[in-house]
Amino acid sequence: MDRRFLLVTGKGGVGKSTVTALLAAASAAAGRRTLVCELNTQERIPGLFGKPPVGPRVTSLADNLWSVNIEPAAALEEYALMKLRFRTLYSLVFENPLVQRFVGMVPGMNDLLLLGKAFNHERERETPGDMRSPLAWDCVIIDAPATGHGVTFFRLPKVILDHVPVGNMHDEAREMWSLLTDPRRTAVHLVTLPEELPVQETLELHRTLAGQLGLPIGALWLNQMPPVWGTPATRAAFADLAEPEATSPVRGAWEAGRVRGLRENQAARYAETLAALGLPTLHLPTLYRREFDHAAVVDLLAAARAQLAGGAA
Amino acid sequence: MTAVARLLDESRLIVTAGTGGVGKTTTAAALALQGAIAGRRTAVLTIDPARRLANALGLEAFTGRAQRVPTELFTAAGLTPRAELSAMMLDMRATADEMVRRYAPNAEAATRIVSNPYYQAFSTSLAGTQEYMAVEQVADLLRSGEYDLVILDTPPATHALDFLDAPERLLNALDNRAVNWLYRPRETSTRDPGYGAKLLGKGRQMVFKSLNKFTGGPFFEDLATFLQAFSSLFEQFRVSSRAVQALLRAESTQFVVVTAPYPATVREAIHFRAQLVERGFPFGGFVCNRVHLPVSPVEAAALTLPLRAAGVPEAVAPELASDLAGLVADHTRMAERDAESLDRLREVAGDALDVVPLLPEDVHDLQGLASVGAWLTGRGG
Repeated sequence: MDRRFLLVTGKGGVGKSTVTALLAAASAAAGRRTLVCELNTQERIPGLFGKPPVGPRVTSLADNLWSVNIEPAAALEEYALMKLRFRTLYSLVFENPLVQRFVGMVPGMNDLLLLGKAFNHERERETPGDMRSPLAWDCVIIDAPATGHGVTFFRLPKVILDHVPVGNMHDEAREMWSLLTDPRRTAVHLVTLPEELPVQETLELHRTLAGQLGLPIGALWLNQMPPVWGTPATRAAFADLAEPEATSPVRGAWEAGRVRGLRENQAARYAETLAALGLPTLHLPTLYRREFDHAAVVDLLAAARAQLAGGAA
Repeated sequence: MTAVARLLDESRLIVTAGTGGVGKTTTAAALALQGAIAGRRTAVLTIDPARRLANALGLEAFTGRAQRVPTELFTAAGLTPRAELSAMMLDMRATADEMVRRYAPNAEAATRIVSNPYYQAFSTSLAGTQEYMAVEQVADLLRSGEYDLVILDTPPATHALDFLDAPERLLNALDNRAVNWLYRPRETSTRDPGYGAKLLGKGRQMVFKSLNKFTGGPFFEDLATFLQAFSSLFEQFRVSSRAVQALLRAESTQFVVVTAPYPATVREAIHFRAQLVERGFPFGGFVCNRVHLPVSPVEAAALTLPLRAAGVPEAVAPELASDLAGLVADHTRMAERDAESLDRLREVAGDALDVVPLLPEDVHDLQGLASVGAWLTGRGG
């Protein structure tokens, strides 16, 4: 949790943004100036802090907490201006439609711009350009793309290192790669659900990110764990109950208990499968709420903290 | 007859689309299985890089070729489909190579492209390649005459329309004017002297120098060499792209938008449908997975006595009654939310909505797929 460059990834729909919000809330609450980067997407983070979308400008969400939705065009402009120095030159070159088309077709270019911009936030100084001034952010958290696409995303700097032998681009890629693979500064957080397909994907993702690419993994977040219902006494009594007739007054309640039990068992099986990864693991309970809002984030954070206090991760 | 049952009868191509985490791949597999059960020779193609479909169909692994789900598997699952079911996944690298071989002007050009290091690094992520290739592959499957029905599972999209825009984007990318203008000025200007050649000639050098400054090396130049070779495929592409576009808009094609009953997800699905309709793609209906179906309310107080009667010890019965009533209340809260979500979907799609309940356990085998399919075709429960 003390590392300053955090990336959150997993299969689509498993709760990456939720975990991003939890990490952000925890970091900000610890008094660290924290920036959340969403990458050219429909923003979720500001909403989880009760705020409207922030767009491509770094905007405050709460004490010690800011967020931004990085857009490739803005990132390109910023980077090109840095290298070309003159706006007229930039306009002449990059606003030329043929050049735009060319840049647009460069494979991986958009992802590289997004990652590059997030990377720049990591090394950003309070006084821009002054290397003696303190770092602008204590913690930069990236809500990274979903698995599949995400692996390409994490691999990008390496691909450039291997295929572009010299030049700015090579140098940038080398710095990015050394940040991504540095366990003192970086942690990749994996998010999944206790379900067959997300679990399979997580195992595969871990093999690629940790095994092949050597990225440091922070923690595994197992989201939507059905909370264990009842007490040992009520559960034991329920287990002894014979299946009631379809017309019985306890049929509906029995069915609810049975289904919940199946879900619990299934989730426990998957948790066990994932335990083989040997990662620090946090379980986030299913919340039976109609709205997933800031109050939900607060509840989940409390659940995560309780596990951390218990020495889970 | 449900909307989906009708589609399975009448379509030749069903495209499942939607955002991640809504059970899209499972829906595609379940539809394919229903197709085969109903007697249509069916193939399902996924372009999702994760190997989910193989698991769900009980296949160890996919190749780029259609693989028939073995009869024993059906028998073991107690199923007797009246036609065969095949599944395949787009093997990105192999398909990209095949695409080059098919469209390159000659074998030498094809080898030049395939052996280029940029091609090797990027061929599978060149914008739009996989979406484009998937549709091409579907066209091949249908042309082969071996299948009556093809189900195409699309990659989960943050921007759900990426898939539809992909062929256009790929054509743009392969339009070699941009590359030629930058890196082959002589050829471009002799062939196309009216294209503001004089003005551009000057600008070109400036752009060329600036781009090299931008990367600080020959990156763009090398890349352009590759893209030039690659864009020799362009003309062929354009021809077959028209066919692909026509296939996606054909009467025998239907798009199924898969969603889940979470408010944000439903909003995205409704938006996606609007975009489909606006672009002239045939919208077949919504499938909403993971729905909490309504249950009768349960009062803890009314449970205690019947629980005792059923043999629960007197001391525990009130507590168990309250625990179970709590579980029912959890479910009911979610069922109310889901009912509102379904109303939203009905407002735009009417009856073109099929519902699959949240199942107590995962679908990860043929039997599970068959029960999802039963819900989709109105025989669930």
